[in-house]
Parts: sequence; C-alpha cells; structure tokens
Amino acid sequence: MNSRMINWFSQSWMVLVYIFLYMPIVTLVIFSFNDSQLVTVWSHASMRWYVALMGDGDLISAVALSLKIAFFSALISVFFGVFTAFCLNRYKRFVGRTLLSSMAATPLVMPDVIVGLSLLLMLVSMQHWLGYPERGLFTILLGHALLGTAYATVVVTSRLREMDSKLDEAAMDLGCQPLQVFRLVTLPLLLPALVSAFLLTFTLSFDDVVLSSFLSGPGYSTMPMVIFSRARLGLNPTINAVATVTIVVVTCAVIASSFYTSHQERKRRREVAQAYSDSNK
Amino acid sequence: MAIAPRANAVREDLLRVEGVTKIFDGIVKAVDNVSLTVATGEIFALLGGSGCGKSTLLRMLAGFEAPTQGKIFLAGEDITNLPPYQRPINMMFQSYALFPHLTVWENIAFGLRRDHMPKAQLIERVESMLSLVQLTKYAKRKPHQLSGGQQQRVALARSLAKRPKLLLLDEPLGALDKKLRETTQLELVNIIEEVGVTCVLVTHDQEEAMTMASRIAVMSEGYFLQIGSPDEVYEMPNSRQVADFIGNVNIFDGVVEEDESDHVTIRSADCLHYVGHGISGNSGMVVGVALRPEKILLSKEKPAGTFNWCEGEVTEIAYFGAYTTYHLKLKSGKVIKAQELNNTRDLSCGLTWGDSAFAQWSDLAMVVLTQ
Repeated sequence: MNSRMINWFSQSWMVLVYIFLYMPIVTLVIFSFNDSQLVTVWSHASMRWYVALMGDGDLISAVALSLKIAFFSALISVFFGVFTAFCLNRYKRFVGRTLLSSMAATPLVMPDVIVGLSLLLMLVSMQHWLGYPERGLFTILLGHALLGTAYATVVVTSRLREMDSKLDEAAMDLGCQPLQVFRLVTLPLLLPALVSAFLLTFTLSFDDVVLSSFLSGPGYSTMPMVIFSRARLGLNPTINAVATVTIVVVTCAVIASSFYTSHQERKRRREVAQAYSDSNK
Repeated sequence: MAIAPRANAVREDLLRVEGVTKIFDGIVKAVDNVSLTVATGEIFALLGGSGCGKSTLLRMLAGFEAPTQGKIFLAGEDITNLPPYQRPINMMFQSYALFPHLTVWENIAFGLRRDHMPKAQLIERVESMLSLVQLTKYAKRKPHQLSGGQQQRVALARSLAKRPKLLLLDEPLGALDKKLRETTQLELVNIIEEVGVTCVLVTHDQEEAMTMASRIAVMSEGYFLQIGSPDEVYEMPNSRQVADFIGNVNIFDGVVEEDESDHVTIRSADCLHYVGHGISGNSGMVVGVALRPEKILLSKEKPAGTFNWCEGEVTEIAYFGAYTTYHLKLKSGKVIKAQELNNTRDLSCGLTWGDSAFAQWSDLAMVVLTQ
C-alpha cells in the first residue's frame, strides 16, 4: 500500500468511528424537533416537544432533583477525595494504609448493581433497627458520594503525585505549620484537579440510574430514572427534548472549558518564551 | 578562580553538629557519626558524589529529617528536635521550589507573613530583598515568567528574607547552564557576604565548592574524609580518595627508601621521588605519591639529577586553549597526565603524538599519601 492509500484508509476509518459514536446522538437531536407522536417517524419540524417539556412537571422536578444530588454528591466526593488522596500520598506509613488505598479504589471496579444492592440491604436494616434513614434524597446522595469519592481520590492522587514535594518543604522551611502548608500551598495548587474531580463526579452522579434505583424512595425520581421508566412504557419524544437540552448544555460547557485551557496554555508558553528572551538581552 | 581567603578574625561557633548518624529503614547508613562546627559568617561546603550523605546531612540541618543519633546545636541551642518551621534556618532548594501560584513579590513575602510582620516593615523588607537581587521590576511576575537565573535569585531572596541565622544552599547552581554558573557563583558569594549570613552549601561540583566556600568538608559514604580550606584540601589531601576527588591527580605507588626528618625518598616503578619534607612514616612503608598534572614540566631534554623525573611517550594531547594536557605513557605502562601552560602563542614544548618526553617536577610538588 502506498502512503496515499493508507491516508485515505485511515481517514475513512476515522469518519466511520465518528459516525458510530455520534450518529445516535445526532439522530436524537434531530428527532427532538420532530412533530410526530412516533419517535422514529419524521413528519415535520416543530418545537412541540420542547413546549410539552415545559409543562411536564414530573420531568422538570426530576431534572432539578438530579442537579441537586449531582451538585452535593460532587461536593462531598471532592471533600473526602482530597483528604483520602492527601493521606495516601503524603503519609507513607500508618496503620491500615494498604487497606485504605485498596478500599478507596474498590468502588471503581465493583459493579454498581452490587454496591447498590448492598447499600440497600444496609439501609433497610438500619431503618428497621434505628428507624433512620428514610429512603430518598439523602440515601441517593450517600450512594453517589460513595462512588464519587473513589473517582475523586483517583483524580486528586494523580495530581498530587506530579506535584513537587519540595514545595511543601519550602513552605515548612519558611515557617508554615503542616495545616498552613495544606491551606496555602497544596490546596491552591490542587485547584484545577479539584475542578475536574468535581465535574467528573457531578457527571457520574447526574447519569447514574443503577444506584439511584436501589436507593431512592417514593417521590424521589432522578432524571435518568424517569427517562428509563418512560422508555419501558414506550418512548415519548419529550425525552428527546430533555436529552437535547442536556447535550447542548454539556457541549457548551466542554467547548468553553477546552477553549479556556488551551488559551491559558498558550499564554503560559508565550510568557515562558518571553522570560528567556528578556533575560538574554 | 578561587577567591582570596577571607580574613580569619576570631569567630564564634554558630553551628555545632555532634556525632550525628542517620540510618534509613534500620539498615541504610546515610550519615555516619559526623561532627563539625561552622563559625559565624563562614561559607561551609559539603562536597561529595551522589549518595555520599551530604544532602541527608543538609536535610537534618533544615529539620526535614531527624537524626537517628547525635545532636545539632545552633548558637548554643539544641535544635535537634525542632520542626523546620521553628528553626531560624532557611534553605534554597536545588529546584528552587518557588510557589508557582504566587508572584515574585508574594514568594519573598511568604515567610515574613508567617511571622506576622507588620505591613510597613514587610513591604520595606521585600523591596530591599528585591533590590538586593536586582529583580525589582519583576516583582509582579509569576515564577514561570522568569528565566532560570532569575528564578534562582528569587529563591535566594526568599530564603534570605527572614534573615535566618543559617542559610542552607542545596546545589545552588545545579540547575543553571555552564556559562551562567560562573557569573552567578560570584554574584551569589557577593550577596551572601553583603548580608553576612552563615552558610552551609551542598555540592558535587568541586569547582563550585572551591570558589564559594571558605571551608570544605569532603564526604564519602556518610563520613568526612577531610575538612579544610580549599587550598588545604587541594594541596594537602590526606588520602587517595580526597586527592582523586578534588581535581586531577597522578598517584605513583612506591616504597619509602630513606626516611629523614627533612626529606624522604620513595622508589616507584618509574622513578625515584625526593620529597623535600619529612613524613609521618618509616622506611619500607608502602605509600602513594600524589602529583598534580599542572606541577609537571615536560621537555625533550633529559633532566640532570637522579630524582623527580621520568620518561615516557606522548599518547594523547588535549588542547584547552589556556593550557594543554598531555598523556604520557611511562615504561611500566602507567599513564600520567601533565598540564602545560600555553604562555606563548607557539605551543611551547613542541611535543606531538609519539614523541618521547621527560616529565620533571620540584621536590615540593608532591604529597605523600599513607592512606
């Protein structure tokens, strides 16, 4: 094969992969503007289902619940994730370190069904013996935070690992007590990792259906749960509309953040080059 | 380019290290029963190859490692168990360890803020530090907006800002390129002397140690081989290891033939050495005769006399501009190095590859090594 053939082949392969990945989403977006009651038959364009979405109280409140749970579970996850990662990274020797490090990663590999089921069993017996907690928002939050903490730990650990430990020593050398080192040096430098851990755990929580189904109580349905249950009863184009809204929001966020990062990176590289050319004058 | 020795006024001991040992994980002896004193105002260098324990010793002074045994005193006070943030000691790190999220100004103010210094005084101190290292117009930049040399100066200013009793320098010029090193070396010494801070520096570069320090401790495998001024360590090494580590050296193995109070003669495979001073030894003893390459004179004519010369064949010539290094292969097969100063523009001794040449030296050029 000559290089032109290879080039042609690799490009068409790329197109195929993109089609495979994004065709379903594109279809969904297109059909959200379909006027027909049937999800798979195109009649003509309209905003009918977006209007219907506005009036769909169940779906709206499910979205609100999902956002609320995602936000708080991400907060909790990042909070615990930072401390777990910090302990594992900075304290090389303490009783139970090995146990902690393997336990922290377990939820990543454990099937959600099993985590959900075991949590449910625990909560049911707790409720039986203690009368608390009632299943609902709090229990879903608990499950998502449990899973999210594991992910946040991984993200923060990888950032901590590439951070220069000499910075901690320098801070201590200049008079910082350990807690001040954490507050004044470690935390500000971890900030980008905290943001990405937050976004990751937020997304995880926002689209989780398995844990939520196990842990929710009456009156507490998250958006994925509603979509899932409606899909079983026959698809309703309102779902397409709510999905499209979500996709648009997510896409905008991703594009904005990648623009911001690449802008920062370019600015930084320019400044470094500037610094060296200045000093050579 | 050694700096002229500093005036040796009577000084108090500032730092005293007594029998310090550090054992890692119960087996690895990084520092082995080391003792030393550093006088106020001195620049003291710990010199050694990697893994010799010099960095561990420095980290114990800073408080990042606790000694397994022994004590450290600063100005008479036992600081062995003080955490780093309570020691009046500051360190300049090899990688500088500047806080990337803070500006130059904030980096320098960082330590002062921890001491809750009043604002007016803090501003004044930071400004004076900035002008000391000539970075006033870079105050608002972040570390990544500075060149390597500028970052080094920020690191220095930051470590001096709290006016520490003792300044620790970890490979201060290690991260700079060769050309920048030479100017920075002198600049650094000037700043340190201007401030008048006592200083312990760690380096693997003997030139750096000799240029900057008033005393050098040569370290190997966790203990001191020799402590002395740069010229003492260079001209009077006390062992083969020191002679070999500091600069280039030719070592002849020989046996003491004649041992008098004012001279000794030593027979080695290629020549008879006449050393113009007595040694602590006796005849029949096996010793090493150390001879620096720059103390050898090469010529084509056979020298008169029976002592302190040998004959060989030129096998290598390395031209360095200011001087030329010749490798001379002696009869026994031993290769010695001789450095000839190029003090005229035609290469003075006119030797070329394969020539037979005579090397000679004075009776005070050699050091007899008994260890």
